[in-house]
Amino acid sequence: MASPAIALAFLPLLLTLLIRYRFYFVLFYRAVLLRVWRDCRTGLSREERCFQYVLTNATPGDPESILDGFDSWCTKKEFISHIGPKKGKILDRLLSEHSPLTVLELGAHCGYSTVRIARALPLGARLFSVEMDQKNAAIAEKVIRLAGFDEALVELIVCPSDEVIPRLRADFDLEKLDFVFMDHWKKCYLPDLQMLEGSGLLGKGSMILADNVLFPGAPNFLRYIRRCGLYEWRVHRATLEYSKGIRDGMAELVYQGTK
Amino acid sequence: MPKDHLITSENDIGIELEDSGEGCDTRNGKPTSGRKRRRRRESKKERKKDEGRGSRNAQHAVDSGERTEKERQRKRRKDREEKAEHVQSLDKSKVNSRDFAAKNKKNLKNEKTRSKGIPKREVEEGEAKQPQRKGCAKAEENEQDTCERAGKKKGKKKKHRKKVETSSEHESSEDGDKEGEGEDEEVEEEEVEKEVRPETLTPEELEKLKEAVDDKKKLIQALRVKPWPMKKKHSTLRESQEFLEKYEGALGKGKGRKLYAYKVMMNKKWMKFKRDFENFTTACIPWEMKIKEIESHFGSSVASYFIFLRWMYGINMILFGLTFGLVMVPEALMGRPYGSMPRKTVPRAEETNAMDFAVLWDFGGYAQYSVLFYGYYNSQRAIGWLKFRMPLSYFLVGVGTVAYSYMVVIRKMARNANETGGGDENSFNFSWKTFTSWDYLIGNPETADNKFASITTSFKEAILEEQESRKDDNIHLTRFLRVLANFLVLCCLAGSGYLIYFVVRRSQKFALEGFENHTWWERNEVNMVMSLLGMFCPMLFDVISALENYHPRVALQWQLGRIFALFLGNLYTFIIALMDEINLKRKEEDVVQFNMTMWEASLHNNTASDNSTAPPLFTHPADVPRGPCWETMVGQEFVRLIISDTMTTYITLLIGDFLRAVLVRFLNYCWCWDLEAGFPSYSEFDVSGNVLGLIFNQGMIWMGAFYAPCLPALNVLRLHVSMYLQCWAVMCCNVPQERVFKASGSNNFYMAMLLVILFLSTLPAIYTIVTIPPSFDCGPFSGKARMFDVIQETLESDFPAWISKVFSYAANPGLVLPFMLLMVLAIYYLQSTSKSYKEANVELKKKLQMQNEENKKKNKRAALKAAMELEEARKAPSPRVAEQSYNPSHQHRRHDMADSRAGSFSSDQGRNGDDQAPFTDCRRSQPVKASASTRGRHANQGATAGYPAGHLRQSEPAKLQRVASTQRR
Repeated sequence: MASPAIALAFLPLLLTLLIRYRFYFVLFYRAVLLRVWRDCRTGLSREERCFQYVLTNATPGDPESILDGFDSWCTKKEFISHIGPKKGKILDRLLSEHSPLTVLELGAHCGYSTVRIARALPLGARLFSVEMDQKNAAIAEKVIRLAGFDEALVELIVCPSDEVIPRLRADFDLEKLDFVFMDHWKKCYLPDLQMLEGSGLLGKGSMILADNVLFPGAPNFLRYIRRCGLYEWRVHRATLEYSKGIRDGMAELVYQGTK
Repeated sequence: MPKDHLITSENDIGIELEDSGEGCDTRNGKPTSGRKRRRRRESKKERKKDEGRGSRNAQHAVDSGERTEKERQRKRRKDREEKAEHVQSLDKSKVNSRDFAAKNKKNLKNEKTRSKGIPKREVEEGEAKQPQRKGCAKAEENEQDTCERAGKKKGKKKKHRKKVETSSEHESSEDGDKEGEGEDEEVEEEEVEKEVRPETLTPEELEKLKEAVDDKKKLIQALRVKPWPMKKKHSTLRESQEFLEKYEGALGKGKGRKLYAYKVMMNKKWMKFKRDFENFTTACIPWEMKIKEIESHFGSSVASYFIFLRWMYGINMILFGLTFGLVMVPEALMGRPYGSMPRKTVPRAEETNAMDFAVLWDFGGYAQYSVLFYGYYNSQRAIGWLKFRMPLSYFLVGVGTVAYSYMVVIRKMARNANETGGGDENSFNFSWKTFTSWDYLIGNPETADNKFASITTSFKEAILEEQESRKDDNIHLTRFLRVLANFLVLCCLAGSGYLIYFVVRRSQKFALEGFENHTWWERNEVNMVMSLLGMFCPMLFDVISALENYHPRVALQWQLGRIFALFLGNLYTFIIALMDEINLKRKEEDVVQFNMTMWEASLHNNTASDNSTAPPLFTHPADVPRGPCWETMVGQEFVRLIISDTMTTYITLLIGDFLRAVLVRFLNYCWCWDLEAGFPSYSEFDVSGNVLGLIFNQGMIWMGAFYAPCLPALNVLRLHVSMYLQCWAVMCCNVPQERVFKASGSNNFYMAMLLVILFLSTLPAIYTIVTIPPSFDCGPFSGKARMFDVIQETLESDFPAWISKVFSYAANPGLVLPFMLLMVLAIYYLQSTSKSYKEANVELKKKLQMQNEENKKKNKRAALKAAMELEEARKAPSPRVAEQSYNPSHQHRRHDMADSRAGSFSSDQGRNGDDQAPFTDCRRSQPVKASASTRGRHANQGATAGYPAGHLRQSEPAKLQRVASTQRR
């Protein structure tokens, strides 16, 4: 039986861990505990609750206010992992610099990033948004329509990404993707990227932006792009959405083509 | 040829090969100075024939021209060789007779002559082969180019005659008689004679050889800045070195030649030996390779920890040698054996479990009653047949270890201060950062990335700092946060101090009740708590210091200060508790002493009453009652502390670093986030914590070594294991720090801490030695009133009377006080002189800076002037320029001009251009460089070795190149 004094000596360690990893604890509370509790209480899923909030607080047809609605819900109420305002600015900048005509988005979730991309696109551009989950896709559809984007601009594909990518060329007669935004399962980043390479949709200068490469993190993806030499790449360092202390990054890849 | 020049070139070779980008049009301009000299000579004759030579040199400048040149050269060589063969047969007899005569003349130096003769022959062969040997022989080629160019026009003979005339100053006396001979014959003779003997060289050949050697030297010196691939540089260097080695010896003048050659050879051998010896000594430094490897992976700060560790190991080796050789071994060999006295015997009560591992691990039982601890030693004045003065030796070793440590630490500090002295931190902040922040010892891409990132961040921070120093908006918040952080840290310190105090009090209570009734945890509570607090509190401080928002270097110092305070507090709490315990033991001792007398008296009474004539009753030493011996207790406590500290360190290493690394590495395959980059990640090597741990460990050794002579031995063991374990752990489970610091700044900080700790740890030891009387029945000083009485005793009984008298006078306050006064005065004097030296240093530095600026200005002016002259020169013969508008010829004219100017310049400065003062040489060569952009770039490379501003050399050519390029357009 250890004496209480020895137990007390562990107090500094405990305090250290608590302070050092406070952001992770807060995130754990907001993203997991609170969510479970609310799910039980309201009977709605997190995305539905979010959509309700946005519906009541945002102006229809105004993407800006819809994005603000999402942001305020995520900062004040609960936590949903989408790109967030800070990293969203980087996304906006890249889009405005490149003004791509065909954009593929993997992982629409509830449509935040779709709206964000769609509003930055030039005239005549098309955005293909892929979402695996039926419910989320339904909500995303509503959000997109609420923001005032029509079928011609945004095409929502409800299907897992690894099934969609090989069919993209045939079903949607795409020639080349100018911009790919990845924000789905972090495990799928690498296989999807390789599938994109294999499908021949990436041309020289195609840009791929992958969110959350540092936290939760896609180490294999990063290792691959570091080694394969097909891309010119850099990581934009930022913090995790709606959280100050957790470091995260977005990987920006520019396809150079095979040598 | 100056000897030291030779040596420097030899020395420089190692560092010469470093790639530095420069303009790539320097290809043709290798052997400048030698060629310049030749040109000077030639220019006297050939200045009129501008036209022809211009075209020739144009060939030389253009690559294709070079090729044709080579071909021609080859042809000509062949001719010459044929002729040589032809004549060889005729002249053989003559040669032989000559050779014989020479042998007779100098049969003493026979051997050397021959050894010289063989290389000579090889010169010829080498020169003949040169067209084929490409990279190596460029210098010679060029040099021969010039001869051949002359020869092509005018024929061989004429050229030779001319050369003989012009270079007559180089001729040695013995060659004078040949001048009258016909040119043809001379040439042929050359060929033959050189096969055998060096001293019969013709002036031309000598000259050529000399120039070739010179060129090689220049080449070696200028090799670093050549825009060649590394491979080519290496091969060129090797070949030139071989060439130099072969022919350098032959170039002495007149009679001194052989001696000179011999000297050169010996010098080379000596240099080589020295270099090999140095390599050998570096190979002998323990753990050097390990540390270097770590340095390359983790930067110099982590390596500095290991260097510190090694240094500590060295000190501890010496401490160990002292205690082991002068205290433990004599006692074990010559002292009375185990079991002969009560103090050397395990008491009867403990005998049953004295050999148990648990007891031995706590340093009780047999370990306690052995040479490892103070109590075992006997107070017998002299032991063994050597009459070894054991108590005196014990005392002197105790004092000596401390004195030695002080000496070493202070000496090291002084040396470090010398290294880091000067250099104001505040001025030129950004340029310091730009030019000096790279750590060139890094050899690992990851670390290099980190270093790169840290330099970038340091720039960002510096810029931010600059901005912040101008506007201070949030100062109140920052101040508040800093105060808060310090308050929290103080709370933490107080809490840890109280916890230790509490634990020590509790352990005293346990001790009174008897340890047997308590669990292992409770018995080891003090050490455990101390180790745990020492481990965890620094982490907490680290977290708290994030509040303060200091610059990392400042933050590091605060952190070190706090950890220092924590460790010190813990240590002193521990010592205070020990003091309490000592007092308790002494009270117990009084009781025991009283009982002893009673017991002895009763023993006597018994024997007296029973049988007065019988021999005195023998009691086994294990049964004799004895005092508690507080000294051994103190020693034991320290040894236990060291052991538990070591264990904690190793266990933390294994769990915190190794286990974590293993988990992170292998769980990463099946985890929902990136463990390596994200949350647990790998640990970094905590330099400051480790250094402080080492320092405090050493402090404990110093404190306890007097009462437990085994401590230095234990420490040596610990450091040895630590070295290997930590090296392994660092390489296998740590990642480089995100901010790679340079170590040099904090080195003396650590040393200062070590000094403070040394002082603070000797304080309690000295206090106990001086104030507390030693135990009556254990240790080398038993029976004395104070421990240091041993000195007095020795003085009285072992030395003649007058020495003790002298000492008693010397100890007189009337003498001691003036002496101390004198010491204070001396210290004051030394300090003031050092201060004035420092000031002088600063002044000199300023002067240097001024001089640099002056030089820069001068150079600039010279360059501008040259550029203007060039401009004029270009404008003046504009029709001709227009006619030869393509590059080479144009270029060539420019460098002709440069030649003439260089000749006029240097004519008053003596022939040997490379021996001139660096400054003049540099200045002189500027116009040359400016005008001849493709050549002459390296004229000053070798000569500016001592030039104060290194960047000048770099920047000037670039600037001039720009000038030249504008010219060319």
